[in-house]
Amino acid sequence: MTTDGIGAGLINTGSGLVDRAIFSDQSIFDREMEAVFDKSWLFVGHESQIRNNGDYFLSQLGRDQVVVTRDNSGKVNVLLNVCTHRGMPVCRYDRGNAKMFTCPYHGWTFANNGDLTGVPLRTEGYGGNLDRAKWGLIKARVVCYYGSIWATFDEAVPEFEDFLGDMAFWLREFLMSPDGEDDGIEVVDGILKCEIPSNWKFGVENAAGDLYHDVSHKSVQRVGLSLSKLRGRHTWDADPATFKLLNITFPAGGHAVRGNLYDFANREYQSQWAAIPEVDEYFREAHYTRQKRLVEKERLLNRGGVVFPNFIYNAANRTSITTLIPRAAGRTEIWKWVFVPKNAPQAVKDAMRHYLLRYTGPAGMVEQDDFENWGSAQLGAESILARRLPMNYQLRLGDYAKWAWPEPWIGAGALVDEGVSEHAQRVFYDRWSEMMTGEPQTVRQEAAE
Amino acid sequence: MSAQVTETVGRPAASYSSGATLKQRVEDFLALEGELLDERKFDAWLDLLDEDVHYWMPLVRNFEFSRPQDEYSEQGVGAAWFDEGKATLRQRVMQIQGGDHWAEEPLSRTTHITTNIRIVEATDTEITVKSRFLLYVNRREEEVRIFVGKRIDVLRPTENNFLLKKRSIFLDQTKMLFKNLSNFF
Ligand code: FES
Ligand SMILES: [Fe+2]
Repeated sequence: MTTDGIGAGLINTGSGLVDRAIFSDQSIFDREMEAVFDKSWLFVGHESQIRNNGDYFLSQLGRDQVVVTRDNSGKVNVLLNVCTHRGMPVCRYDRGNAKMFTCPYHGWTFANNGDLTGVPLRTEGYGGNLDRAKWGLIKARVVCYYGSIWATFDEAVPEFEDFLGDMAFWLREFLMSPDGEDDGIEVVDGILKCEIPSNWKFGVENAAGDLYHDVSHKSVQRVGLSLSKLRGRHTWDADPATFKLLNITFPAGGHAVRGNLYDFANREYQSQWAAIPEVDEYFREAHYTRQKRLVEKERLLNRGGVVFPNFIYNAANRTSITTLIPRAAGRTEIWKWVFVPKNAPQAVKDAMRHYLLRYTGPAGMVEQDDFENWGSAQLGAESILARRLPMNYQLRLGDYAKWAWPEPWIGAGALVDEGVSEHAQRVFYDRWSEMMTGEPQTVRQEAAE
Repeated sequence: MSAQVTETVGRPAASYSSGATLKQRVEDFLALEGELLDERKFDAWLDLLDEDVHYWMPLVRNFEFSRPQDEYSEQGVGAAWFDEGKATLRQRVMQIQGGDHWAEEPLSRTTHITTNIRIVEATDTEITVKSRFLLYVNRREEEVRIFVGKRIDVLRPTENNFLLKKRSIFLDQTKMLFKNLSNFF
């Protein structure tokens, strides 16, 4: 794939070492945009943001701005926000409802499915020779997956479900309501956007499985955030049932999940929203309904994870999606969507909305400390002297991770380690390296031997 | 600075002078609030908030001229930067006060400037005040954040002062240009 050597030799997951240049070098960043971002399905939004025909919002596909629309026939489109005449963005609003987009420069008009419908002076100026079918907005390939919207401009990227592999179950489960109903969540109106002085990969590797960084969140653990009436920031902290802590990775695609696998099936509900009885009651019922719907997989608590390269989600009542939008080697935009269960009583939606807004984003009591740390890590990545020293990803380096473990139904493509480990980060960088250099991944090579 | 000038905490000077107008007393209250925050007297600041205070900062969007309702996320429904009551504001203060909240450890240097103060409506129980704010934040060595926007406050008169009953903060930014909102407005 890559022939000029950019990306080669930067990642050595066999010894758990990563060159700091991957966070700070602008030429590596530029290569990533083509070799990684252009070659992946990227998340752009959720169908609940465009309920009615004509609804649209602006989003990002890597570095490109796109308009996500529901056209007059109800279909979802992802359109490059670049006028085909001379390059102006044709849409200038964060969201709205429109049958068409008229370019502010020379007035070419595009329907909300991207087709070019109007060209001033079409007859007089172009002699009727301008083929409107050729000059519509550039349309991405689009997949709607249980409410989430994904897109790519690349024709060669494999079908979405192949790209996901065995990660599919986890993404689908995340998009369920707490009672296990598919496509069960809706966006709380508004996307939280902020900018952090950090490389995009610091955020992704954190979400892939940095269970080592709990000390970052000491302050919020101390103060308490969940509504379980117990200390802590997670609702599941209130559940005393024992579990295996899993770092589940899917090396083929580079995806990863953090999960609890409870030791016993069909455990009793433990009050997790005790501060608001009505809400607690909803989650109690949901717990048992989900057990019936998910059968043996009900033992899993999906805590969060990553769809390679830049989609991260938090689950287990912290229902939110974050994309890390790369702007430059040391500059990333964070976009955040927060969700509540679609069919829950209003009291549940309100409680979750409040909990989420206090948890997540630049005003969130948890994530403020993450953003601060990622920004600080960037300083280290840019340090001239420290550049001689690779970053260390050696936690539980060795022969620990097992395929399709602890239960075969976790998927043949799953490589799983237990406990606090940097396994998921190593897999993430292995996949990154494979896309950057075309060299096969270490872990997959070893597995094949 | 003389001791007299610095020791105004909790006792707005204007309220002692019989000639102080309502507007002077309101201005004094808002200045005191900002001063307490800048001097990191967060507990004293909390004391100026009504038990039922609502502290809200919506998201801001670029909107079509014909759809002005799209500019701010809807209160009680949409996402927001802040949607707080006193209990959670107290939690945020407690978080800062432990020495382990890295986004504010070491503490930021802040200066709150509140200006263009105008009383929009005053009854015996509620005074609605519009103002403009500038919050300057400096962190560690090189980090600078400048927040500018509009505020609508509802004050509740007490025996010799006010309590803040509601604060709506309209920041002039769609995308947050900084990594954290770890300061109070
Ligand atoms: S740039 Fe859009 S019409 Fe000319
Ligand atoms: Fe974190």
